[in-house]
Amino acid sequence: MRIMRKYAVVYRSVLMENLQYIGNIALGFVGYFILIFVFMNLWGYMYGEPGTRIAGYTKEQMIWYVMVTEMIWFGARTGAIVNQVTTDIRGGNIAYLMNKPYHYTLYILARHTGEWCIRLPMYALLAVAMGLTMVGRIPGFGIPALLSSATSVVLGVTINGVFKICISLMSFWIEDARPFQWLYDKLILIVGTLFPIEIFPAVVRPFFKLTPIYTVCYGPAKLVVDFHMEQYSEILLRQFLYLAVGIGLMFFIYGKGVKRLYVNGG
Amino acid sequence: MSTGDENNRQGIPGTAPGWNQLRVCVLSIKYNIMREMVNKVTFLTNICFMILNNGAFLVQWAILFRLKEDIGGYTFQEIMLLWGICASSYGLAHILFARAFALPELIINGKLDAYLVLPKNVLLGVMTSSTRTSAIGDLAYGLIVACLSGFSVKKMLLFLLFTVTGAVMVTAFAVLLGSLSFWFVRMEIFADQMVNVTISFATYPDGIFKGAVKVLLYFAIPTGMMVYQPVHIMTDFKWKGFFMVPCYAGMLSVAAVVVFYRGLRKYSSGNLMSARV
Repeated sequence: MRIMRKYAVVYRSVLMENLQYIGNIALGFVGYFILIFVFMNLWGYMYGEPGTRIAGYTKEQMIWYVMVTEMIWFGARTGAIVNQVTTDIRGGNIAYLMNKPYHYTLYILARHTGEWCIRLPMYALLAVAMGLTMVGRIPGFGIPALLSSATSVVLGVTINGVFKICISLMSFWIEDARPFQWLYDKLILIVGTLFPIEIFPAVVRPFFKLTPIYTVCYGPAKLVVDFHMEQYSEILLRQFLYLAVGIGLMFFIYGKGVKRLYVNGG
Repeated sequence: MSTGDENNRQGIPGTAPGWNQLRVCVLSIKYNIMREMVNKVTFLTNICFMILNNGAFLVQWAILFRLKEDIGGYTFQEIMLLWGICASSYGLAHILFARAFALPELIINGKLDAYLVLPKNVLLGVMTSSTRTSAIGDLAYGLIVACLSGFSVKKMLLFLLFTVTGAVMVTAFAVLLGSLSFWFVRMEIFADQMVNVTISFATYPDGIFKGAVKVLLYFAIPTGMMVYQPVHIMTDFKWKGFFMVPCYAGMLSVAAVVVFYRGLRKYSSGNLMSARV
């Protein structure tokens, strides 16, 4: 626990720093609001008559699903995991940071957590406000579903952060890792965020369950719109497995990457 | 006999000032692209991955069209056309005028000084001072998708025209909103959000929206004239609608220029020592 104390200090300082910019974060609500509005119209058109189900989801469930996944998408979009890692590696700042008494990747993860801990609850409040006023309550959603989905969302956001750090660390080999971030983001966005997995052909569904999509956005959102205890256990197990593998991969890539570092003076 | 300074101010002797300004803009864009091409692997990766990135959205539409045959009155081909015009307009705007989208940052941080001392048009100088590499991928994607949605010479000529008008509209809209930073704080986030909103709406058919929203899409933000109207013209040609698009682009540009130069009177320098090489 003593080892983790320094990361808690980093987390706290970023949290305090971000509390100063709540107004700026709130201005980002416009983008979220418009996106959800577009999807409400789109699904309203697709469902047509009341009572229709698509891939087993009612219209209300489908809109809530998109609201939760987009909430994760917007809430977990922090500068630390993409911009900072890439800039540190490209600019050479990594040479100073790697000598500090912390592990660089965990330092970035602590910064990321400090950022989303402000953003995500704000987007969650907006999602709830929009959902209750524009869609209505989710049938069967109670305290157990709330607590389980909250745990799952936190784990999902952390897994996403770890994988995005892994991609950013590729800047050790290629100058700009952003194109790979785009592809990862699109995979998460198209397959897990805009639609639930059930909407895809049955042949590809087992494959999607093995990708980060299942643990980052589908799992948490599914627990919100259609909570089952058995599914919660399965999602939680997969999330812990994914987190362990992701952190291992992150340490491995970083270890390999720093060996390629050249110091050109300065 | 004129001094070197006078030559600079009047442009190259024997050439009209307008042509001279155009030549400076073209050279500026050319050097921006050459600078981006220094690292060829990164340059090509950015372009290719942006094409793939945009292509991923075709999966989204393929899934939706499995559920319904037409969405908002659009067929899959028309959606591809919608995406094509949107991507190529956005791409062209970010190849030629990428800095127009970062205008608030220049104003807030007092970084316009470097452009004010140049003996050329300030706004054009700012707008053409940077290029986004990935935008080349957007433009290429738009052209590919337009060809895939059904090729004909007439259609391609219209597509190219609407790519230009779309690029002008999105740039003018960014300049218009970005210029508000001369008067108000935090406009950089608002301007960025509004440009994103314009693009977000532009990738969905207008048939799914109703009532006041449709009016807003045509008059409050330029989405309607940027992509919806061009798609309608390309599928069902009407002269009236055809002339409306460039007129709208022209009016929006005039409004952006007027607001920028009005705001420039209020600009205060950041006393930053910087040089543009």
